[in-house]
Amino acid sequence: MIAATGPEAPVAVEQDLFTPLPFQVTAVRRETADTFTLRLRPPDGRPFSFRPGQFNMLYVFGVGEVAISISGVHPRTHDLEHTVRAVGYVTRALVRLHRGDMVGVRGPYGRGWPVEEARGRDVLIIAGGIGLAPLRPALRHLMVHRSNYERIVLLYGARTPRDLLYRLELERWRGRFDLHTFVTVDRGDEAWRGHIGVVTTLLPLAERLLDLRHAFVMMCGPEIMMRVAARELENRGVPPDQVFVSLERNMKCGVAMCGHCQLGPLFICQDGPVFPLSQVYTFMETREF
Amino acid sequence: MSKAEILEALRQHPFTHHMDEAWKESLAEMARLQTYAPDTLLLREGRAADAFFLIIDGIVAIEMFIPQRGPVRLQTVSAGEIVGWSWALPPYRWEFDARALVETRAVVLDAAALRARMSQDCALAAWILSRLLSVVAGRLKATRLQLLDIYALPEGRLA
Repeated sequence: MIAATGPEAPVAVEQDLFTPLPFQVTAVRRETADTFTLRLRPPDGRPFSFRPGQFNMLYVFGVGEVAISISGVHPRTHDLEHTVRAVGYVTRALVRLHRGDMVGVRGPYGRGWPVEEARGRDVLIIAGGIGLAPLRPALRHLMVHRSNYERIVLLYGARTPRDLLYRLELERWRGRFDLHTFVTVDRGDEAWRGHIGVVTTLLPLAERLLDLRHAFVMMCGPEIMMRVAARELENRGVPPDQVFVSLERNMKCGVAMCGHCQLGPLFICQDGPVFPLSQVYTFMETREF
Repeated sequence: MSKAEILEALRQHPFTHHMDEAWKESLAEMARLQTYAPDTLLLREGRAADAFFLIIDGIVAIEMFIPQRGPVRLQTVSAGEIVGWSWALPPYRWEFDARALVETRAVVLDAAALRARMSQDCALAAWILSRLLSVVAGRLKATRLQLLDIYALPEGRLA
């Protein structure tokens, strides 16, 4: 568990599943042209704990509610961070908020990344676009507990260099000797000296560093990216129960009651959003889902 | 550099994994190890496709020069991958540019010698062309995914 009000805070806020708590916006940081990170402070500094990979329902009063993954905790203020891409009416309203505004928060919900199960193993993280946001708390957890893991590789793909999230942090990660970070973009520009191509083209580099057949893989990004990467991993002999994906569907209630996010027998909000690939591969390969 | 070094570099490269050792030794006879400084062209569109590059270290960009726009980078190729297959197809001319973005080391095989060797040894030719086909298919798949623009804003009414 990660605590948003200090590392010692042990338990989550006790709250009604359907009642949002008013969190104060303490900062809105622009990441890219359409993506922002909101920092939110719990009411009265109450403890708020979560597992990497979980999400909250964020409610913009008078506009609506949307499921957003928790993207971290600010290291100094311990404010909760959510990275939001402005793609619809609620998310556009979210990124227009200012410091001091209030947001309703319900959560945390869902099943997170298997950071405990991955102890003692190599870990490969594959992120595409805003998919880095839900993986960021997992990567931070791995780095805080670095000695518990073997080699760690991050593969991150974005559309262009201007679309890369968390640039400063990305630079810090790239500078670490105990983390191998490879970044690629679909379209470079004149200043870009790095990799160009979809994120799956970086897999051979990871393969040179890790024994993929025994590594834990955590993956989040556009579903087509995860589907293709899942096949590439399968071709390389990675067992599907060692591959974990975070799925996204139209989550409304967050507590498996409304059925909007149902995927076959699964509710993404409750049974996920993080699933072992072995549990969801069939649905990912089925067009009707 | 010695032939032993070249042979060892060939052995370490994923392209030659599971290749018969005698074939590797034969390839080493027609190869050299080369280091390219950043911004150096490994090959240039329209010129004779006279080499086959097995990248050991570094990053190579596949580019095309567009008048009034300059070189446009389309894809990059990294350590463990190969650059160039036009040497295997008539009329043996490069279709794109390839430029080292950072200091890059490669095993460079002499294409004319390799073609001659392949024409004498059908099994070697089949092995190399089969590996090349797998590389070409992988690049084609990656290019198609790039064309999909998977990170573009989704359509429809979204929250």
